[in-house]
Amino acid sequence: MSETVRNIGLFAIVGGLILLTGVMQSWNAALLILNMGLISAIMAIGVNLQWGFAGLFNIGVMGFVALGGLAVVLVSMPPTPEAWAAGGAGIIAALVLGALTVTAAVLLLRKMQAGATRNIVLIVLLVGGFFLYRAILDPSVEAVENVDPAITGYLGGLALPVLLAWPVGGLLAAGAAWLIGKTALGLRSDYLAIATLGIAEIIIAVLKNEDWLSRGVKNVVGIPRPVPYEIDLQSDPAFVERAAGFALDPVTASTLYVKLSYALLFTVVLLVLLWMAQRALNSPWGRMMRAIRDNEVAAEAMGKDVTRRHLQIFVLGSAVCGIAGAMMTTMDGQLTPGSYQPLRFTFLIWVMVIVGGSGNNFGAVLGGMLIWFLWVQVEPIGVFLLDVLTSGMSDGPLKSHLLDSAAHMRLLTMGLVLILVLRFSPRGLIPEK
Amino acid sequence: MDFLNALIALANYVLIPAMSYGSQLALGALGVTLIYGILRFSNFAHGDTMAFGAMVTILVTWWLQSMGIGLGPMPTALLALPVGILCCALMVLATDKLVYQFYREQKAKPVILVIVSMGVMFVMNGLVRFIIGPDDQNFSDGTRFIISARDFKQLTGLDEGLALRTSQAITVITAVVVVALLFWFLNRTRTGKSMRAYSDNEDLALLSGINPERVVVYTWCIVAALATVAGVLYGLDKSFKPFTYFQLLLPIFASAIVGGLGSPLGAIAGGFIIAFSEVTITYAWKKILVYLMPGPLEPDGLVQLMSTDYKFAVSFVILLIVLLFRPTGLFRGKAL
Amino acid sequence: MSADPYDDRGNKDRSITNPHGIGTLRAAPGTGHGMETARAFLIGDSMTGGYGKGPDILHDCTVAVDKGEIAVIVGPNGAGKSTAMKAVFGMLDVRQGSVRLDGEDITGLTPQDRVVKGMGFVPQTNNIFTSMTVEENLEMGAFIRTDDFSDTMTQVYDLFPILKEKRAQAAGELSGGQRQQVAVGRALMTRPKVLMLDEPTAGVSPIVMDELFDRIIEVARTGIPILMVEQNARQALEIADKGYVLVQGSNAYSGTGKDLLADPDVRKSFLGG
Repeated sequence: MSETVRNIGLFAIVGGLILLTGVMQSWNAALLILNMGLISAIMAIGVNLQWGFAGLFNIGVMGFVALGGLAVVLVSMPPTPEAWAAGGAGIIAALVLGALTVTAAVLLLRKMQAGATRNIVLIVLLVGGFFLYRAILDPSVEAVENVDPAITGYLGGLALPVLLAWPVGGLLAAGAAWLIGKTALGLRSDYLAIATLGIAEIIIAVLKNEDWLSRGVKNVVGIPRPVPYEIDLQSDPAFVERAAGFALDPVTASTLYVKLSYALLFTVVLLVLLWMAQRALNSPWGRMMRAIRDNEVAAEAMGKDVTRRHLQIFVLGSAVCGIAGAMMTTMDGQLTPGSYQPLRFTFLIWVMVIVGGSGNNFGAVLGGMLIWFLWVQVEPIGVFLLDVLTSGMSDGPLKSHLLDSAAHMRLLTMGLVLILVLRFSPRGLIPEK
Repeated sequence: MDFLNALIALANYVLIPAMSYGSQLALGALGVTLIYGILRFSNFAHGDTMAFGAMVTILVTWWLQSMGIGLGPMPTALLALPVGILCCALMVLATDKLVYQFYREQKAKPVILVIVSMGVMFVMNGLVRFIIGPDDQNFSDGTRFIISARDFKQLTGLDEGLALRTSQAITVITAVVVVALLFWFLNRTRTGKSMRAYSDNEDLALLSGINPERVVVYTWCIVAALATVAGVLYGLDKSFKPFTYFQLLLPIFASAIVGGLGSPLGAIAGGFIIAFSEVTITYAWKKILVYLMPGPLEPDGLVQLMSTDYKFAVSFVILLIVLLFRPTGLFRGKAL
Repeated sequence: MSADPYDDRGNKDRSITNPHGIGTLRAAPGTGHGMETARAFLIGDSMTGGYGKGPDILHDCTVAVDKGEIAVIVGPNGAGKSTAMKAVFGMLDVRQGSVRLDGEDITGLTPQDRVVKGMGFVPQTNNIFTSMTVEENLEMGAFIRTDDFSDTMTQVYDLFPILKEKRAQAAGELSGGQRQQVAVGRALMTRPKVLMLDEPTAGVSPIVMDELFDRIIEVARTGIPILMVEQNARQALEIADKGYVLVQGSNAYSGTGKDLLADPDVRKSFLGG
């Protein structure tokens, strides 16, 4: 069996699993899995770029995904003029001041001679800057957050088309990645892992707390869509007629239509990114990346700036994660900072990459789709299994405890899948060529 | 100006909580640093190992409580702790046999073990949630306070109260005892020295007749004990919730790295540095400042540098500053 | 793509991985085809082999040392001197040949087991526990011993007085020559039947080198046979009872140290005239 046939077979199996979901459960459920699977595949491509091609250990995927989500709010939501009037200028001024303080500190660190004087000046600058920043920021934030807090209480966005938010999400993530990479990769030894882990938590903390920016835990809902609303479709006689042609009732037909439209959009993005990733992989740049990965000393001896290359690929991979994050928030129609959890948005993506095959873009896509399918379906399967297992048991606290706990089967399963794949098929389902 | 009251408030709201939190972080970081020094990877499952040990201890505590067995004023959990440590040690040893050992035989690079530990993290996390559920669990009993704020006020006649909870005192005392034991073990016993030797130079340890597998077993047992103690103390002091333990990974890693990964002394220093910075930066200083400032200068706001939700940010910024100036951490880690 | 699926993909992240002191030693006991062509107290007999499935580095190479002797392996760079040493210690995939100690075939033993059998080995690099004190280094050397080893430690301190002076100091803080003394001292702590030294004078100054050679002779006088690899061929052969000149993994010349020093071919090719 040739490799291509095998790989096509693997994709067909995942497709089959999703189709099976459609037949056994519902087509809405199947399409939901497909859509999130496509998004997961994109995230996996991003992580695979970093780990697979350059051996960079990014455990802050969640942060970049969340930045993508923030981009959707900033781009597509309508602005809140009252909030801007109340404190917009103050907040902008404070942020500029903060950025200036940090820049000044960095410059100081570089230009002044090391010593007690430098440290004192630095501390005075940073502490003074911080208090000034807070003095300007705090009242403005309070003013903004007091503007109709039940509905807005934040500055809002730019009311631009939501699709524009996807590339912007990528840019936002790329910017953050550049800052992190510049700091963590520039240190004498590489501290990227802990840096990404920390930054991701900080990004989530900012989204949860800075209500003026993202409404915090009050969530931003009603984000504009790139596809029609179900309710509009249902009241469109032409659509109802076409639905009837497929023997579908208008409500089901409209939900399916919306999900299919998303699936189409996501597939296009996935294919474009996959094509770009493949092109990059096979370009001189990609070959050099792999040369560095396989023998950094030799690459360095040949005059390659390893840190710079690593920074490039780290930024690119993070940007891909940001795009995926923006797509996800768009599909959800809301930004819920409380829902970002590292197990789901960082470590699960890693499972996808490892299971799919580190270093292979198609593997990442397959891993993304397959693991997402499992993530969703393990829970009902677990409930079903425990139902069967406990069917002989008399009702009691143990039985009800087991049934209640079935929901936690998915974490256990993901761990087992990762461990088993690493042990018995360490190159993943579609190994690197 | 009322210096004494300010001092009491400082102790009550900053020093005591930071001491006990710092002890918990130090114990957690010691576990991480031992694994880093001897098995040579950062164990992502450490937070969940803490949760597992604490969970077993809680289950045994509940059973003891239901049997009416207790320690009087002390929390029953202390009685259940040895069982928790034992079960946790068995758990990590089984994990090592089933999972990690294979990669040592393959001479897999440490980063592969990091990924493996992610898998173990998922499994343990799922297991703990499966057994005890994802919710908050309360298991502390005994006397809640050694001295309560009201008693302190009556005793001293001061305006500010100083509360010392039993759990806080136990945390600090236990941490001191455990750390002393660990250092005695590592520096004075033959087995402890063989662990340091293995961490320093694996090949030479082998050529000296030190059995690596035995070193690994000892390491896991010690790590299980440290993790369980840390987990139980954290649970007694705050509360037990599986997700919180998972989130402790970041401050614990930060502590271990700030101190210098692989250095036990560094892990302890790192734990306290992180704890004190988190507490001082997220504390609202108004209460203390009103005693110190003359009337007109009294602050209007809370004088809280950052909201408590940014405590992770604090650990991280401290970490970054230390790494920028001392890339190897404060205590120049790498070997035990 | 590298052949090893458990490769690190070039990852150098120190916040999650620790390469310090990581093991590189590979145990490769056993042989495909045993050989017995000569007798000696310790002999690596007609060894042919290489690393893993790689090409052969040694070709029918024999090295041996008898009681009360110093045997020296010399030769040009890349001649396989250290490789021969590794083969004797069970760290090379030997496809033909045997290793015997005191008449017993130990070809099938792992390096650790050979230590237990009485072989002491001092690697060329990373041969001390840098973070531990001198005394702790010696203690670790005696790890396999269950009896009281204080008199052995006294002997080592008598041999290397400087170590006694610095016993409480971390070994990593010592000078190059002192480190080598710690390394040899550590190996002596097992009371080995034979001592193997891989380039003990690598990277030390000529004066220190002379001192180290003196110490090695003293160790040999205590009755321990010594098999060593040396880069400084002339000085080494001067103290050697037996010498082996290896070229491309084969025995080119062998004989007593004096004979080899006198041999015009050896002089011309390896001793610079």
